[in-house]
Amino acid sequence: MKIQILGTGCAKCIKLTENAEKAAKEMGVDFEIEKVTDINKIMEFGVMFTPGIAIDGQVKSVGKVLSVEDIKKML
Amino acid sequence: MLEEKDVCCGGNIKTLILCCAGGSNVGQISNRVMVDLDKKGVGNAYCLAGVGADLSGFVESAKAADTILIDGCPVACGKKTFERHGFNPTRHIVITELGIEKNHNFDNVEEETNRVLQKIL
Repeated sequence: MKIQILGTGCAKCIKLTENAEKAAKEMGVDFEIEKVTDINKIMEFGVMFTPGIAIDGQVKSVGKVLSVEDIKKML
Repeated sequence: MLEEKDVCCGGNIKTLILCCAGGSNVGQISNRVMVDLDKKGVGNAYCLAGVGADLSGFVESAKAADTILIDGCPVACGKKTFERHGFNPTRHIVITELGIEKNHNFDNVEEETNRVLQKIL
């Protein structure tokens, strides 16, 4: 499973990354996390608000720091 | 208005403006109105086609924002596109409800656009 965190690297992006890692580990799934910080690559997703999270290429949420439990429901 | 979103890197963008941009005078007026509202700083022009194409980044961004959706006519393709994804625009503008008759004459689009802008601003 590929988890992409969309954001230029602010504190909220970092928190979302931490939450995603924790959620994936607690769910016991094989995963890799990619931090997408290039604004042009973020725009290619069509995302207008960050942080965002994409799972296997599908954007699941934008503009919010999802909790660990919220992310678990998406995995 | 929607509640304040937890936006970080996206800066101050909170309102997205989308339009049907259809193949009639009112469809093209909707596009011009969207551009004019963007220029005036009301919000950011955004792609309804991306939402219609089920592109997840577009769908989720539109859900997360305040949205001004401009449809040309009561067929309301834009609103139906939103509804397919289970949400509604914050503000919905239908050009024909503002005194502009739908037709295929593009000669008066600029003047008709100005009439619409006077009514919605």
